[in-house]
Amino acid sequence: MATQDRLTAPIQSVKFGAPKPQLLVPLLRTEGLSVSYGPNQVVTDVSFDLNPGKSLALIGESGSGKSTIARAVLRLLPSGGRATGRVEFDGQDVLGLSERRFRPLRGRVIGFVPQDPGNSLNPVRTIGVQAMEAAALLDEPSKAIRKELILETFAQVGLDNPRRVYDSYPHQLSGGMLQRVLIGLAVLPRPMLLVADEPTSALDVTIQKRILDLLSRLQRDLDISLLLITHDLAIAAERADSLVVLKNGLVQEAGRTAAVFSSPKSAYAKKLHADVPALNPDRYARLRDPGFRLLDTGAGKPPKIEVSAVTKRFSVDGKVLTAVDNLSFSVPAGTTHALVGESGSGKTTTIRLLLGLEEPDSGKIVVAGQQLPERSSASLRGVWRHLQLVYQNPFTSLDPTWKVEQLVREPLDRFKIGTPGERVEIVREALANVGLGEHLFSRKPGALSGGQRQRVAIARSLVLKPDVIVLDEPTSALDVSVQADIVEVLLSLQARFGLTYVFVSHDLALVRQLAHTVSVMQRGRIVEHGTVSSIFDNPQQPYTRSLLDSIPSAASGIARLPQPRARRILTKEKIA
Amino acid sequence: MSKAYLNYAAKRLIQAAVVILLAYVFTFVVVSILPGDPITNVLNNPQNGFTPDEINEIITAQGLDKPIPVQLWTALSGFLTGDLGLSMRTNRPVATLIAEVLPSTLVLASAGLVVALLLAAVIAYGTQFLPKRFGQGLLRGFPSLFLSVPNFVIGLVLIHLFGFQLGIFRVIEPNSFWATLFAAVALGIPISAQIAEVLIANLDHESGQEYAAVARGRGLGQMRLFTKHLLKPSSLPVITVIALTIGELLGGSLITETVFGRTGLGSLVQRSVSSQDLPVLQAVVSLAAVVFVLVNLIADLAYPLLDPRVKLIGPSARRPATADEGFTDLSKAVTP
Repeated sequence: MATQDRLTAPIQSVKFGAPKPQLLVPLLRTEGLSVSYGPNQVVTDVSFDLNPGKSLALIGESGSGKSTIARAVLRLLPSGGRATGRVEFDGQDVLGLSERRFRPLRGRVIGFVPQDPGNSLNPVRTIGVQAMEAAALLDEPSKAIRKELILETFAQVGLDNPRRVYDSYPHQLSGGMLQRVLIGLAVLPRPMLLVADEPTSALDVTIQKRILDLLSRLQRDLDISLLLITHDLAIAAERADSLVVLKNGLVQEAGRTAAVFSSPKSAYAKKLHADVPALNPDRYARLRDPGFRLLDTGAGKPPKIEVSAVTKRFSVDGKVLTAVDNLSFSVPAGTTHALVGESGSGKTTTIRLLLGLEEPDSGKIVVAGQQLPERSSASLRGVWRHLQLVYQNPFTSLDPTWKVEQLVREPLDRFKIGTPGERVEIVREALANVGLGEHLFSRKPGALSGGQRQRVAIARSLVLKPDVIVLDEPTSALDVSVQADIVEVLLSLQARFGLTYVFVSHDLALVRQLAHTVSVMQRGRIVEHGTVSSIFDNPQQPYTRSLLDSIPSAASGIARLPQPRARRILTKEKIA
Repeated sequence: MSKAYLNYAAKRLIQAAVVILLAYVFTFVVVSILPGDPITNVLNNPQNGFTPDEINEIITAQGLDKPIPVQLWTALSGFLTGDLGLSMRTNRPVATLIAEVLPSTLVLASAGLVVALLLAAVIAYGTQFLPKRFGQGLLRGFPSLFLSVPNFVIGLVLIHLFGFQLGIFRVIEPNSFWATLFAAVALGIPISAQIAEVLIANLDHESGQEYAAVARGRGLGQMRLFTKHLLKPSSLPVITVIALTIGELLGGSLITETVFGRTGLGSLVQRSVSSQDLPVLQAVVSLAAVVFVLVNLIADLAYPLLDPRVKLIGPSARRPATADEGFTDLSKAVTP
């Protein structure tokens, strides 16, 4: 079949120069690359090489300039951004090219996989129309064949029903499907380089693994080089041949993955290494042990939270959806119970049930010895004194016009606790407990970092002296090192005050670090539950195993390392 | 077309009909209960030279001696069958008077709208893609400028410049192609300002979206990015703005017609106001209400067809997406 040949055709079909006779010209090379927005320099003097067929990861936290470098390579910097230095593609400097001469390289030679699949396709046009734009780069005159090629690529990236996807609008597909579509559109014109900007950070863990596997497979099958931008050291270690570690726009460390990974030299790389949950499962053992002792001795009885046979249904478009199905679990006082599962597994509904924001259709919830009453705001206030919520995203959960002190004091005012003087004292104490200095008390959220904001949110939940704090993905919006700080704050608070946590997360590595007991949820049901060690060391259910498998592991990455050498020989043969 | 959409369309249609009827009843009642009954005032005016007998005859002929509910019923059933009564000034059917002048006004108003849309699109495109050194910033000032110059001033300048100085059209032939075109330009310029402002703001927003960068990453050029990706999502809110400016378009055409000496709804209104010809004025007000309601009805019906994300949902229970989501947050949704 003609279309089949086209898809498996070798890379020479790409029209970018003739194959170079010499081997060692890197496909992508930056030299002294700096990017500034007006007077603010966000990337300083970054140099790296990416050889054909290889993968290189740029690692760093938000503000490290990693995405800016990706944009600079693609020349897609937002207006006002200016790049200096050299960006060489196949030996040719492309930074100095005019937009008109650079544009043919985009898509055809350099493919781009964006960070957030939900916002990366035009919401009011079908997938097919947008795929046709990528297919237009193929120099294939027949529209029917172009469509065939698109459908084949969709199948190649693991989309089950390519035709339906082709006719869908973006909002009709899930995030994982959209990311597959975007990867498909990027590889369809057979680029030589794929720039993937945090391609999985908006996705569930199991989907994350599948997408990364897909990228690795396409990279191997289609002989594409990969520039992977990520904040996750574990992912980088697993997937990249070499690493560049960035902080504040400066290169901290660079080199072969195995070398950087086994013996990081710079202080920053060492800290990053220590902060990644997947690499340090026992980091907080000392803080967590008291909870385990409570579990072992049975001192945590009666349980702080007892959920028995709770079911909650919603009706959507006339169809009844069982969000939570016959759910039972109990949390001993002073311990952390983790609810893990992917989107749609019922975690969020469970939290809302615990908080009394939804009423169960059947079943019973007891918090601190009190049965959750029917929904009425007066009696719910009593529940909320015992049970507080720390939200997922500290960037949206704090009123930007309030000062830190007011934000933390508000619950005291609402519950009329103590005299105004006493309230000020409680607020100071709570802020001190989460490690916020007095100079921050009169700031507004806009003047705080993400980690500081989340500390404010935790302090706010502490002032009412609740027994239970529900943590709804409390670190998912934060950088790894900040995440480690927040986890440390949470665990030390638990150790000091004997707090009981319900911790909701899809990040299993983090759960392993801080939880005592775990319930694994799938489609509204608990498929497996037990202590953290029994779940992680001896999972019984296939679903639990698939979740555990998707934790990126550095070991598999390093074991994979000899592979690139074999690939290079292939490349050599092809070019010769 | 889905069942939900047809359901929604039917509901909107009924609502529109109710609004039009209420608008008519409202204008009728206001005129009827105003103190000092304007109709008898006109008749009693000595300048009109009616004898008391003639006055009584007119009042009986127009049915003005009957109780107000009966009058309302007569008027309403007339309105529904297209009988808008007789003009007091010319004694001819109001419907005929309006039918004579309406086409000219419709031509002007729709030409004005086309000019406004083209102008807004060009300005908006320029603000996105014109290099800074060619005056991108200047272009962003245009809408405020357009909005602050009254359209009769623009009309007079255009007449002076293109009519008298350059001689492109003759002022005494107001219905010629060129005269109509310049009238439409005078009418369209202030209207374009509002459309352009909304369009620019939306383009700024949309071009900052990730999908625009991703589309450029697929090798799309500026023109195709604008026409294929940015224009449609940016234009959706413009539909609402257009629907709202229809009122202005009608009001503006009355002024523009006067300035350019065109015979149209404007001149009819002018004559009717000066002679207090209430049946005509009432018909024009009702007509404006009908046009306004119809245009907004079209906008409402078009929205779900153009934006696939707009959902037509009823008050059914929805599953919250986040733990802290409010109970009434139904953004991006239209409740029919």
